[in-house]
Amino acid sequence: MIECKNIIKEFGKPAQQILHGISLKIMDGEFVSISGRSGSGKSTLLYLISSLDLPTSGDVFLDGKIVGEMTSDESHHFRNINVGFIFQFHYLLSELSVLDNVLLPARNLNLMNEKRDEAIRILSRLGVGSHIDKYPRELSGGEQQRVAIARALILKPKYIFADEPTGNLDTYNARLVMDILKEVNKLDKTTICLVTHDPRFSAMAEREIYLIDGRIASRSEDIF
Amino acid sequence: MFFLSWKQLMARKKQNLLILLGISFGTLLFVSISGVQLGMRRYIANQLLNNTAHILIKGEEKKVKADEVTEAFYPSNFVHWINNPSGLRENVKLENYSGWYSKLNQDSRVLGFSPRMAAHVVLNSGKFSTAVNLVGTIPEKQVKISSIEDYMKEGSFIGLRGSNTIVIGTGVADDLGLKTGQYVNVSSGLKEGPKSFKIAGIFQFGNQQIDRSLAFASLTDVQILTKSPGRVSEIAVALYDIDQAQRLADEWQILTHDKVEDWQEANASFMEMIKIQDFTRYFITISILLVASFGIYNVLSIMINQKKKEIAILRAIGYGPRRILELVLYQGLLLGVSGGILGMILGYLLCKYVESINLNFDIGNVNHLLISYDLSIYVTAFIVAIISSIISSYIPAKAASKMTPMDIIRAE
Repeated sequence: MIECKNIIKEFGKPAQQILHGISLKIMDGEFVSISGRSGSGKSTLLYLISSLDLPTSGDVFLDGKIVGEMTSDESHHFRNINVGFIFQFHYLLSELSVLDNVLLPARNLNLMNEKRDEAIRILSRLGVGSHIDKYPRELSGGEQQRVAIARALILKPKYIFADEPTGNLDTYNARLVMDILKEVNKLDKTTICLVTHDPRFSAMAEREIYLIDGRIASRSEDIF
Repeated sequence: MFFLSWKQLMARKKQNLLILLGISFGTLLFVSISGVQLGMRRYIANQLLNNTAHILIKGEEKKVKADEVTEAFYPSNFVHWINNPSGLRENVKLENYSGWYSKLNQDSRVLGFSPRMAAHVVLNSGKFSTAVNLVGTIPEKQVKISSIEDYMKEGSFIGLRGSNTIVIGTGVADDLGLKTGQYVNVSSGLKEGPKSFKIAGIFQFGNQQIDRSLAFASLTDVQILTKSPGRVSEIAVALYDIDQAQRLADEWQILTHDKVEDWQEANASFMEMIKIQDFTRYFITISILLVASFGIYNVLSIMINQKKKEIAILRAIGYGPRRILELVLYQGLLLGVSGGILGMILGYLLCKYVESINLNFDIGNVNHLLISYDLSIYVTAFIVAIISSIISSYIPAKAASKMTPMDIIRAE
């Protein structure tokens, strides 16, 4: 379970508050969207609840542990095993083949051989099984994003954090990515936190956390 | 992380090839310059050791002192010398040869020793003559402590066992037109006329100055020639470990009035030259490796700048700071190891090539440069290449390991 207690996040000098005392809970197996206008603080919130960043004040709990109290090794190990990331840009390593990219989280745990068949299976499930020996530059944008999703899924993580995963894709591929996320949530009971500014994709989640100027609000309050 | 480092290196082949060549060039230079310098140094050291020894024990040179003469002849008068009395009080000799004999025989660090008596003589054949330094020695002992037998061009050094026999250098033989088996007259400058010595052999050290100014005879013959029976002017000592020479010489010097000199002290100017050579060699090598190191530093820094997004995703999916440091450090290390190995191979081949060039003049008994293939040269070159690559890659590696995913994502 993910829990935030009154988290505040400030940036810059003089300090500018981006998140204003947010408290929330995301239950295991939930599909939650975090949405809002540009600059509302949705990506900032995602990075805080995924342990990539620390709040200025307040606590983020991941499986009952306070993220701010984890050592660097603990937080990296936690992310390696329990977290999958999907970003707007695929961030694939250009010098590695599709298969090697997908196996990157497993390589960090020396599980490449054990996870090889699983990687091929996931890539096939995502419709890029015939490209395992290709390099990222040889794939289309949609295919690259699907490879990045496969990388996020390879260790069957408990949480997937997706930051505008469809932002750089055409409608067909964007729809495909959303369908994959829904399927993973349904079949594997993976908790999914999706940041999107697109109301259509936001509506596909079980629950929407809508942000206005760094505060949780309801979409109906967003009058401008 | 080795796999990822290798993949990233292979993705920038041209850049890395240039850096690799830089490191190889530095290593190659060190190996080849060291090979030539140490080869020549070993040859010169051998030459010096044939002339001197690991340790040379010499009688003290006693000179006439004005105050001693005054004290002896005019004890109660004030004397002002217009010309100070000067000159040697007696010929150089060891104070206690038998004492040294038993000490050296018992010392387990001593490989062998050879008592010698040196005298300046004139060699004469027909109407030609030349002055040489005649060293009287016991041939069996001299052969044990030096490699003179290897430099014999004609005859044998052991041939000195016969009475009134002499071994001369090729320079002397050429000057006087002599061959092995012929006779040469030897004058010591004393009242008696020259004595006839049979030439038992001719040596060639390859150093013209030595080959024209040195000769050997048996110790007894030189003692008779100089009318100094039983006298020994010096003892040449060979040790099992030449590196102990200085320490042992210092140790023995405390016990005696005789002068105990190790071979480095006796050849101080040669040792100075060695120091200058070493300095030059290390200076050139370090300069080149410094340039190559800057190359590694630049290439890795640029790589890190270009790969920020990849580093961010690696950190996000669980690769900690230490793994990122390894990722960059391994790349520098790979460049250092491969550049070092390539440089050693090319350096070895260059040494082999240089060794094969006929210079049309004699160095020792060969006509090419003498090259050292000592393992320590290659080990030093390899270690220097690796250390320089580790240092130059550690700085960008440390910087990369400090990058947090959020810093990179926000900057994007």
